[in-house]
Amino acid sequence: MRTRSLIALIVLISLAVPLSAQISRVALVRRSDIIFVGTVTRAGVVRVDQVFEKPGAVSLMKGDSVAVVAARAGSPPLNPGMQATFYTTGWIYGRWITVREVGHELIGPQLATVAGAGGTAHQDLVARARQQVDDADLKARIQTAAMVVVGRVEQIRPPAYTGAPAPHKRFTEHDPNWQEAIIHVDEALKGATAGERVVVRFPGSRDVAFVGTPKFAAGQEGTFLLRKDSATGSPLALMAGQTVQAYTALHRLDVLPKQDAPHVRTLMRGP
Amino acid sequence: MRATTLLVAVTFVVAGCGRPQNPPGGQPTPPPAPPPPPPAGVRVVDMIPASLSGETWQDAEPFLTVFASKPNILAASAFTPNPGGPASTTAPIYVSDDGGSTWSLRNTLPSNVQTADITHAGGESPTLYATILSTPSIALKDLETTDVLSATTMTQDATRPNTDQPFVRAIRAASTDRLYVGINDFGAPNGRTATVDVSLNGGTTFTSRRIESRNTLGQNGPSIRPAVARNNTVYVAYFGWRSNAGDTITSDIVVARDDNGATGTTPFRNLVDASDNQPGRLVATNRTIVFSNGPTLGQERIGSTLSLAVDALHSDTVYIAWADRVGSGDIQTVHVRRSLDGGVTWSNDLRTLPNTTNPALAVADDGTLGLLYQQLTGTGNASRWVNRFEQSRDGFATHKDLVLATVPANTPASQFLPYLGDYDGLLTRGTEFLGIFSANNTPDPANFPSGVVFQRRVNQATHQLLDGSGSPVAVSIDPFFFSVPVMP
Repeated sequence: MRTRSLIALIVLISLAVPLSAQISRVALVRRSDIIFVGTVTRAGVVRVDQVFEKPGAVSLMKGDSVAVVAARAGSPPLNPGMQATFYTTGWIYGRWITVREVGHELIGPQLATVAGAGGTAHQDLVARARQQVDDADLKARIQTAAMVVVGRVEQIRPPAYTGAPAPHKRFTEHDPNWQEAIIHVDEALKGATAGERVVVRFPGSRDVAFVGTPKFAAGQEGTFLLRKDSATGSPLALMAGQTVQAYTALHRLDVLPKQDAPHVRTLMRGP
Repeated sequence: MRATTLLVAVTFVVAGCGRPQNPPGGQPTPPPAPPPPPPAGVRVVDMIPASLSGETWQDAEPFLTVFASKPNILAASAFTPNPGGPASTTAPIYVSDDGGSTWSLRNTLPSNVQTADITHAGGESPTLYATILSTPSIALKDLETTDVLSATTMTQDATRPNTDQPFVRAIRAASTDRLYVGINDFGAPNGRTATVDVSLNGGTTFTSRRIESRNTLGQNGPSIRPAVARNNTVYVAYFGWRSNAGDTITSDIVVARDDNGATGTTPFRNLVDASDNQPGRLVATNRTIVFSNGPTLGQERIGSTLSLAVDALHSDTVYIAWADRVGSGDIQTVHVRRSLDGGVTWSNDLRTLPNTTNPALAVADDGTLGLLYQQLTGTGNASRWVNRFEQSRDGFATHKDLVLATVPANTPASQFLPYLGDYDGLLTRGTEFLGIFSANNTPDPANFPSGVVFQRRVNQATHQLLDGSGSPVAVSIDPFFFSVPVMP
């Protein structure tokens, strides 16, 4: 056992039934941010055998022990020696980690061979489930977008509001400092026409409130999922003397690399 | 057993670094004299726990809560995100159950990934009240938990939009917790936005009390700072923004007072200024404040720097610190002043600190004043953020000083603003001052002349941060807790 740290681990397996009778692997992966294969070393203590997924900031590796608290009280305890894939969320980060169990997948005969082969194939199953989760999230964004385009940012400018009063200026550190990106549509995937130009508003502020919000720069190319502006309070813009609808792309999935366009097209075609 | 560096908290005793090489053909260079040992009883603790040793976030704008009846329990916050990533629906707070020697992070704030502004205060121990601007809506949320050590999500007492910089103080009175939340309320009428949301029933209900009695340029400054004495006298400091030319504001520095815990129907009217007979004493007038949402003081923004502290046992003694532009080549200058008569008259500057931000004031039970601040020194690549703590009992005629940290100002590059924070925190508990600030986390003893303890993994010899596997981790901004004995 590693002397690096002793992490009290209380793992309560909630169910001892095949995965198919439990939540699907995709559903487990969706709700998890720390996924690992572990072996119960003693009551409530699990040694990590292999880490499949974890946030980059988290220190967790083979040989560590982790505390896992069951999602439901009263679940039967794990027996020492049992091996399982644990789907968990980080809960308390101290010298050790305590995680909440989302679910687990016993390493039974159908997975023992997979796990025995370095666990690579099993890790692939989890990775595939993660891809399905990511695709489902992206597809949801695509379906609710007003426009999906491949294009290039031609210009960044201050907002050209029209049709409604410009938002009243406030002195606050959380002022979004709205800017406009004029995007040339190279390829229209949904709701647009190739060759048109679209006004996309984004917060130019560097405030912490907008740290995760996509920003644009002149010359930037990408695949953009756009929504009609309902954020600034002035949804129309001026472009070339015309009043046009303004759009926003405020979610991290709304601004993708240009090379993601084929994947977006595939998701748009699917069921 | 893994052949890795032992993952334990590493205490740096300030020590000499490696010896310089002998000059060619010369005599051995004598080793440098070791620096003096850190002051007795002083602790500085990097709060990032060992299990997050790979963390590289800009953990700015720290805040601290202590619990009078449970001295081992502390709560803290910073702009630390939920390590679980962008899909997280909760944000973390820090807690300690050993008086601040070690800290853990638990995801209990109902805000996506992280909060924007956050402050908190202790109620009947160990109840914690927190006021946050949640993300992504930036709505104000008043939160509480009856057990700060619990890892369950805090409950929401109230919420509303259109506010800025909530700053909560709490006191126990009549067997109930009273809360005073200073906020800049953009929904207030006539542009008089300085407001204190008062709860006399532990957060069950809140009443918005408008405290600006004079005309403004359309709003007050973001910082509204309550301070409460044990006899239930409540002071509130705020910026009376009267006019502006672009981002250059002309402001008054105003202090209001309520002698009865704001329990009356027209609170905060006990301190009147003789110049206009209006509530709110004008401590200083026509001050120039530059409101900048870009890097201005080093990599830090400026525009609303304010702190207020009352002697908890002698409510007539009040201290205020604010920043404005003096105009003598400074970017902004912090002024510290005192009143000994309940805010009626004020001293001139007891301290005048150029190129300084984030002053935090606290008064110990014996009347000793503590002052924490962050000062930008030097220029260009030699510029540094110096985190100082001063104590005085005689209005700074004399004062005892400590440098808690002196760190490079140009690294790391800022990820967002604020770089260090729009405020930090200082409190007292018994015979100690307890505080928190954010700074560059390079584990170099020379940066921490009062000593430092790292919970996260570090390499002493190379002054590097390490992740769990032993790989180097980039320098970033971490929150640091400290405790300093009240001077004898």
